[in-house]
Amino acid sequence: MTATVLEPPAKTALDFAGLMHQHQAMVFSVAYHYLHNRDLAQEVAQEVFLGLHRNLAGIQSPAHAAFWLRKVAVQRSIDEGRRRMRRPQVALEDVAEPAVAAAPGDPLLGEILRKLIATLADAPRMVMILRYQEDLDPMEISELLGIPLATVKSHLQRSLALLREKLARRGLGER
Amino acid sequence: MKPARALALAVGASAALFAQQFKFDLDRLAAKASNTVDVSLSGPLLQLGARFLDSSDPDEAKVKKMIAGIEGIYVRHFEFKQDGAWTKSDLDGVRSQLKAPEWQRIVGWNSAEEGETAEVFLRLEGSKMTGLAILATEPKAFTVVNIAGPVDLDALSQLGGHFGVPKVQPDKPSGKKK
Amino acid sequence: MDWLEQELKSALARKDPPPGFAERVGEAIDRASPGAASKAGPIASRRVIAWPSRVAQRWLAAAAAAVILMIGGGVGYRWHRGIVAKRQVMQAFLIAGGQLNHLHAHLKEVSQ
Repeated sequence: MTATVLEPPAKTALDFAGLMHQHQAMVFSVAYHYLHNRDLAQEVAQEVFLGLHRNLAGIQSPAHAAFWLRKVAVQRSIDEGRRRMRRPQVALEDVAEPAVAAAPGDPLLGEILRKLIATLADAPRMVMILRYQEDLDPMEISELLGIPLATVKSHLQRSLALLREKLARRGLGER
Repeated sequence: MKPARALALAVGASAALFAQQFKFDLDRLAAKASNTVDVSLSGPLLQLGARFLDSSDPDEAKVKKMIAGIEGIYVRHFEFKQDGAWTKSDLDGVRSQLKAPEWQRIVGWNSAEEGETAEVFLRLEGSKMTGLAILATEPKAFTVVNIAGPVDLDALSQLGGHFGVPKVQPDKPSGKKK
Repeated sequence: MDWLEQELKSALARKDPPPGFAERVGEAIDRASPGAASKAGPIASRRVIAWPSRVAQRWLAAAAAAVILMIGGGVGYRWHRGIVAKRQVMQAFLIAGGQLNHLHAHLKEVSQ
């Protein structure tokens, strides 16, 4: 269970620099894991915070800022991905097999998983990032992306199955 | 001691705005807890949550009915990895506030064997119920509840047996849902 | 969570942007502020009247999208708060009801 405290409705003074410091990892990581390109992710993250700066007066609370930043980071990442057709045109077979089998917890396995995630289609890719980076539950993902809950669950199930299959083909998986 | 009985209480026409009715100074426990539930809902936010309850779902419909007269609900529930995280002074710090004249302890439970305690208090103004307090402890858990407003205790108690949590039977081990 | 999900959590853990990110955002904010062009001098002022650079276009597009999001996002955020509040209502009643039920069962056991 997580600690949850609802904030009072009264507006509190918001510190832009503090918000950026608090949320820059989240915003950058959503963009990076989606686009799998560090420079593009930085650009997107920069734009998101520029947008926050311009619209700070409309933000009601720190919790609202977090919600807003996540939503805009997701949308901007998807937009950027579509604009550049950044779904890597790398067949999964081209994701090189490691010379040494990666073990669970191995950074090499982590990099393979990030590459595999980046080859998923737009919607399942973002669903997986929101689930495993942001630890959102399917209902929260459904609300954020504006897609049905059943679709979110289907994306999760199919993506996990696909990843398992791809890893198994490479001799990677649970020991 | 008599078991808690349902009190059929008319919702008073009181215009008073209920807030949290006693203090929870439990930051010390929050810092040590491995799991925490911290709910503070009142006024517009409570009503907003109530509007999202689904009337076609029997349990949510019951909660929606119960909320109708309630002005606030406050819960702190802490779980710890080890015994000894909470002390008697933590419990007394809350309990001492419930010695005020408007609070009446209606039932208490203490099991030395299981290391569990539970107490229920009602806040009364004349014959009208205006609040409920529950204090419950286990060796690795500490719970405080305050519901501001009149509450149907029977309905609330029955709720504890739904939502997938089986009603506790005397001959079965208790299964607390996380 | 199974092993794959744990690995995914680890692989997709948040990472900070490269060093200097905050400074670059600050510089971008300064460049985008209304006073920046006049401070730069007359040639720069003429350039401000010209069609915005590609980079500035992206910022303007982002700002416009953000404004639209704010209008819709305010409504979306209220709905999100409602869902969160509903979950907390249910959680609170579950805990309160569970404690009462548990107590009731103990007392019934004693009275039998």
